[in-house]
Amino acid sequence: MAGIGFELRKLLKKKSYTGLLQTYAYAGIISSGPWVLSIIGILVVGLFSIGVVVPNVLISQFQVTVTYLIALSLIYTGLAQLIYTRYIADRLYEQKDALVVPTMNGVLFVIITFGGLLVGCAAYWLFPEQSILYRLLLVVGFSSLCGIWIAALLLSGMKQYMQIVWLFLLGYSTVILAAFLLRGFGLEGLLSGFVFGHLLLLAGMLFQIYRTYPSDTLVNFAFFDRRQTYLSLMLTGFLFNLGLWIDKFMFWFNPDTGQQVIGPLHASVIYDFPIFLAYLAIIPGMAVFLVRIETDFAEYYERFFDAVREGATLEYIERMRNEMVIAVRKGIFDIAKIQAIFTLITFVLAPAFLSWLGISLLYLPLLYIDVISASLQVMLLGLINVMFYLDERIAVMWLMVLFVATNFLFTWLSFYLGVAFFGYGIAASLIVTLFVGLLVINYKLSQLEFDTFMMQ
Amino acid sequence: MDTMINLSNNEMPLNGASFQRDDAPIDVMLLLEGTYPFVSGGVSSWMHQIIAGFPNIRFGGVFLGSQPSDYKGVRYQLPNNFVYLKVVYLYGDVAMPAVQEQSVDPLLMEHVAGLHECFKAHEKCPHMMQQAAGLLDLAFDDGPLNHGVFLHSKGAWEYLAQNYRLNCTDPSFVDYFWTVRSIHTPIWKLNAITKDIAPARMYHSISTGYAGFLGALLSHRNKRPLLISEHGIYTKERTIDLYQAEWIRDNRNIFQRDPSEIGYYKKMWIHFFEALAKMAYDQANAIISLYETNRQRQISEGANPLKTACIANGIDLPKFAAQRAKRPNEVPQVLCLIGRVVPIKDIKTFIRSMRTLVNQLPEAEGWIAGPEDEDEMYAQECRELVKTLGLEANVKFLGFQKVDALMPKIGLTILSSISEALPLVLLEGFAAGVPTIATDVGSCRQLVYGLPGEDQALGAAGDIVRIADPQALAHAAIKLLTDPKAWQHASEAGMARVEKYYTQTMMFDRYRQRYDEGLLWQA
Repeated sequence: MAGIGFELRKLLKKKSYTGLLQTYAYAGIISSGPWVLSIIGILVVGLFSIGVVVPNVLISQFQVTVTYLIALSLIYTGLAQLIYTRYIADRLYEQKDALVVPTMNGVLFVIITFGGLLVGCAAYWLFPEQSILYRLLLVVGFSSLCGIWIAALLLSGMKQYMQIVWLFLLGYSTVILAAFLLRGFGLEGLLSGFVFGHLLLLAGMLFQIYRTYPSDTLVNFAFFDRRQTYLSLMLTGFLFNLGLWIDKFMFWFNPDTGQQVIGPLHASVIYDFPIFLAYLAIIPGMAVFLVRIETDFAEYYERFFDAVREGATLEYIERMRNEMVIAVRKGIFDIAKIQAIFTLITFVLAPAFLSWLGISLLYLPLLYIDVISASLQVMLLGLINVMFYLDERIAVMWLMVLFVATNFLFTWLSFYLGVAFFGYGIAASLIVTLFVGLLVINYKLSQLEFDTFMMQ
Repeated sequence: MDTMINLSNNEMPLNGASFQRDDAPIDVMLLLEGTYPFVSGGVSSWMHQIIAGFPNIRFGGVFLGSQPSDYKGVRYQLPNNFVYLKVVYLYGDVAMPAVQEQSVDPLLMEHVAGLHECFKAHEKCPHMMQQAAGLLDLAFDDGPLNHGVFLHSKGAWEYLAQNYRLNCTDPSFVDYFWTVRSIHTPIWKLNAITKDIAPARMYHSISTGYAGFLGALLSHRNKRPLLISEHGIYTKERTIDLYQAEWIRDNRNIFQRDPSEIGYYKKMWIHFFEALAKMAYDQANAIISLYETNRQRQISEGANPLKTACIANGIDLPKFAAQRAKRPNEVPQVLCLIGRVVPIKDIKTFIRSMRTLVNQLPEAEGWIAGPEDEDEMYAQECRELVKTLGLEANVKFLGFQKVDALMPKIGLTILSSISEALPLVLLEGFAAGVPTIATDVGSCRQLVYGLPGEDQALGAAGDIVRIADPQALAHAAIKLLTDPKAWQHASEAGMARVEKYYTQTMMFDRYRQRYDEGLLWQA
């Protein structure tokens, strides 16, 4: 979300509590809007299907299918996400706006063709007992999700944050409405609603993009010639998404904790559900992250390099460096503080909330640790963002390797330690990754002037 | 293996290329910074004269240039005893070490800091060059103080930042940083090439600066003597260059800027060249200047007085003495300025003085003998000044002339320059019996009045006036032209002085003595 700082700073300039509140509300909406809408959308579809879509296992089958589609499309497009963002940012910096749409078309074409083919094969061979329609919806749903992730990156790059949120609202309203109307057709009905809503969402995004950047050429594949240059970005995007999901896959496919739901897809009744709720508790953390990192840190980052270029004193340059350090520290602390508050609120309200939703209170311990994990995840996002600012691509890549490896290791360990430790795997992994990341940033910032001047 | 170069065409050799006539050893290795044989001019002509004047000595040369595009090939017919030439460019596409963090021993950085302290207070460091050479022995590509360490180590960074905080009066750190980098870059290059230069029995540097420093390093490493000859004073000339340099930034704002004080980065360059000179003076066995004022300046910049001496440029005495017989009995009422028509010669002051002079001596003439194509705008301005002052009948532009043939027709040579070193034209006039009126620049005072002692006792060979003072110039000229007795005295003093101190034979004799000493020197 580079560039968001500018918008947020405009709001902050109002210098009033309302202005501050507006800033955080705006940051919260644009950072959390899309995934909050999708979580709520899918929960709502599940809720109104109870008693209508029978047997109940069909609802789980719908939710598990959707979860897999989202997880796998994120991991798969993770390969292209960062490198694509970087590529577009570079082209816009060069003022080659005309390349934006053809490049996106090229990326979409390749990603959807390959992805569609892979999912098509999987649908053909791995789901023999499912209907043709279900298998077709898998392919279309996966393809449109991949398209949405790529298009959303570009819209962020174009600073159309609110448009993304509106389009998600439109898309998920359609998902809910269509699923509601089609719920009589069972699993295929719900899934058709889901896919239809997403196709609409994708179409809306593409419409918005084509409207902003008219272009003469249809497709440009130059993007793919540059893979070598940014191999680290490719791996980082992939590993980050893999790291976020690897513990879940382990729970799904561990015979002790997961069970087969549909075709080869497994799910874990005891592990999955609280995670979705936990993510709802990190909205304030995301808002703070955006405001702190993209305004405070980014501002001192810019001032630091302006100072270097424009001939400021070494003292001033060092002061800007120190301000960057303070901004990172404050950012991480503020996320920690606000998340601590909201974690406590969750602790207090969760029993009542779960009872109200009719969900077993046995989930409570897992929900607590999931809220903590989700909060740590926001801090990690902030940290990665800072590292990208400092152009530490290789360090981020290794940090992501560490994240995937520790998440795998600690989750595997938690199987042996027993139910009480479920969920602690990813939490411990995030703590280790965060700690190492902070050490790296601390080291890099401490010698920022040296690196800036002497490493050229 | 070095690329061998062909010196017959007008192309500049590649960096590091060398030329070697035969395998016999080299006697004197000349260190030539931006001069012979690729640049023509006063110093180059002198160099050519010296090489040709010692046919039994085998000379070699190391040419230090900025970058190939600044030169246009060999300007001289190289004498047969010039047997070796190596060409090195200090700037342009210099290969830089890989960008990779290096580490440096803090103890070594203390030594580096110590050496820089020496540059500031040389009187406290009797063995400065030894100290410098000790560090430079560690500065080869595989040494602990290699160029990469200077560019990419924490130790170097901390030392640089510390000096910025302590000393820099200009706010811009980035400019300080780059000035330090560009100043120091040639050091490693010069250090490395000492290994590639053919051995010689002695070194003779024709300036301080980079050439003097390279000479000092070669002399120290190979344990052979170093002779330094300075025509101008390198640091002074560099100072003038730097005063005029637009490319060196000055970031002080209007309140911080004191117009009388030069920018900090210019000062850094000047200090750097002073430091190079100090090391060269420290290593040199003998330090030669053209005249006394310059010798004093060398001493003030760190040269040991015992090593210094003056060897003036000499003229071909018989050639000019032969013109004495052609003089008319009456003193010709002709003032002649011999030199290129360029601003530094301040031709306009001479023209203005002619107005005053013609008011009293209507028959007097002012001649300007020299090429006008170097600065055509200035030449045009001079001609217009002549018209404005109504001097068309009295002031003549002669263009390039044979100086010896001109001498019998003139009564006074005039030198109105604002800067000179040791102007040969004065001596040539003296030899032909023509006194002079000259401005108080370079060695002119020494040439006209003589140095204290016997020299002074010979009398004044004319008069000295302030620069840019047409009235004084005119009055001094009138005094001599209207008083035949005084003119005769001046003429005789001039002849006696040039015969006693400023002949080519004397110059060759004194350099022969230096070369003999150097070539026989045993460590």
